[in-house]
This record gives sequence, C-alpha cells and structure tokens, in this order.
Amino acid sequence: MHALIIDDSRAMRAILRRIVAPVGWQTTEAANGREALDHMEAGLVPDVCMIDWNMPVMDGYQFVCEVRKRPEWRDVTLMMVTTEGEHSQIVRALAAGAHEYVIKPFPPEAILDKLSLLGFQSQEVSA
Amino acid sequence: MTALAPELAQQDLETLVAQVWSTYVLDEGPLPAPPASWTSATPCWSSAVSVTGAWHGMIAVDLAQDAAVALTRAMLAMEDDEEPAAEDLVDAVGEVANMVGGNVKALVPGPSGLSLPVVGQSPLAAPSDLAPSLCLDLTWNGHPLRVRVLTGAGSSAGSAVEPSTAPRQEMLP
Repeated sequence: MHALIIDDSRAMRAILRRIVAPVGWQTTEAANGREALDHMEAGLVPDVCMIDWNMPVMDGYQFVCEVRKRPEWRDVTLMMVTTEGEHSQIVRALAAGAHEYVIKPFPPEAILDKLSLLGFQSQEVSA
Repeated sequence: MTALAPELAQQDLETLVAQVWSTYVLDEGPLPAPPASWTSATPCWSSAVSVTGAWHGMIAVDLAQDAAVALTRAMLAMEDDEEPAAEDLVDAVGEVANMVGGNVKALVPGPSGLSLPVVGQSPLAAPSDLAPSLCLDLTWNGHPLRVRVLTGAGSSAGSAVEPSTAPRQEMLP
C-alpha cells in the first residue's frame, strides 16, 4: 500500500509518515497539490492521498478537484487531513470527491481507524 | 469591532493548545502561567495566521526559544542533542499556529478563510485594525509561551496576515 502525504509542513508530513510507515505503508511526500499531481502524472498511483487544505501553489481542495477530473485516478482514495474544521468546508471537500476528513490535531489511531474504515483492512493497518 | 463568539473563551484556547501538545509532543502540555513569565527580552519564535470573512482576526503563538526548539525536536522526531535548523523551527512553529488558528476558526462565526502561517523571531505585531481579545500565558518545561487572539472589523477589512502563495518557510525579518 502506498500513501501520498501532501502537506506544506515537513513536520506534519513526518508525523503522518511515522503513523503509517510502521504498519506497512510506503510513503511519498509532496509539499503542495501541484507537487503531488507531478508525482501522479509521473506514474505514481497511490492507494491513499492524505491532503492538507491550506497550502501554497495548489491547495488541497484544488488537488481533490483535479484528481477527480481524471478517470484513471478514480480508485485513489482521498483523505483530507487539515485544520479546516468549518462544517461548510468539510461538506465542500466531500462533495468534490474526498472520502474522509480528519481534523488536526489528531491522535495516531484516528488515521489508522479511518484507513480501516476506508477498506484498508490488511493485517498491517489493523494491527 | 467584531466580538468574539461567545463559544470562544480562555478555556477553549487552553484545550486547543493541550490537544496539540498531547498529540504531537506526547506530554501533558503547557500549564497556565502568570503574564510576568513573558518579557519583551525573551528570545522567541512567533507564528500567526489570520482569519478573514464573517469573523476577522489573528491568532498568534509566541514560543520562547527553548520551547520552540523542544517543540521542533518533538514534531520532527529529532534527538535531544540535535539542533534544529532555522527552517525546521519555522516549519514546526508555523504548523502549531496553523492548528491552533484553524481550530479557533471553527469556533467563531463563518464562513471565513484561513491564511498560511507567517513566522518571525519576535512577537508578531498585529495590524492597527486589530485589538487584543484573548491572551493566554502558559509555561512548558519552564519556558514561557503565549497564545494571542486579536479581533478587528468585519470581513471587508484587509487580512491580518496577508494570505500568501509563498511557502511557509518565508520568514518575516
């Protein structure tokens, strides 16, 4: 399983990596939506994208919209991981095609629980 | 002046800061401290985000130098004797302001937008259209930190911290 972690904070990318890597996930990191699209256009098809909302260059909402325009990426699971907790923003992201929404700060088990709910039921994730 | 939402109180800020610490630093977090623990001579790192829209204001987090270094080590899983680079401090301190500010935004009237964090090495000053609403003085491992909420006129006013397309590593002088 492969997670693409998209956040302009290196600290937050490191925190997410430390949560998922020990339970079997490979990770690739991007500092904004544009960088993430570059990875995917170069051939990376992650199982899950973990997406911050507020980022320079291309924000997380724009990234979700761009991914959902592309049929070849329809199976990629999109999980917002952001401080944006306004109800209207959550609705907007889910309507655009995000599958899950996690609000920072979050305990590590929140990420693993969401992955499990999204169907990543491998032994590694559920351990 | 925009009044703070009645839902936002000193206790909310304390809870938000405690959540950030318990999640990313894995300790009990900062404790309330008398305002005297912070002086203008305290070397510090400061980060702020602005909220613009139905509610207009700025949320700033000021950390004493030693607190900022310890926080950065924790967030980046660095060794105790490892010295974080300036860009690491900017990143970690900015992310804390982003998390506290984003959660404050969720407690005040919306809709509104959240800026990217800006970071400096002295307490970030607010624009003249904003006035202090809440100030939370805390201490963590003996080092002071302060969380400030400033509010201003409505959404028609300019952003407290200009939203930027630049990466957060852009640091104010």
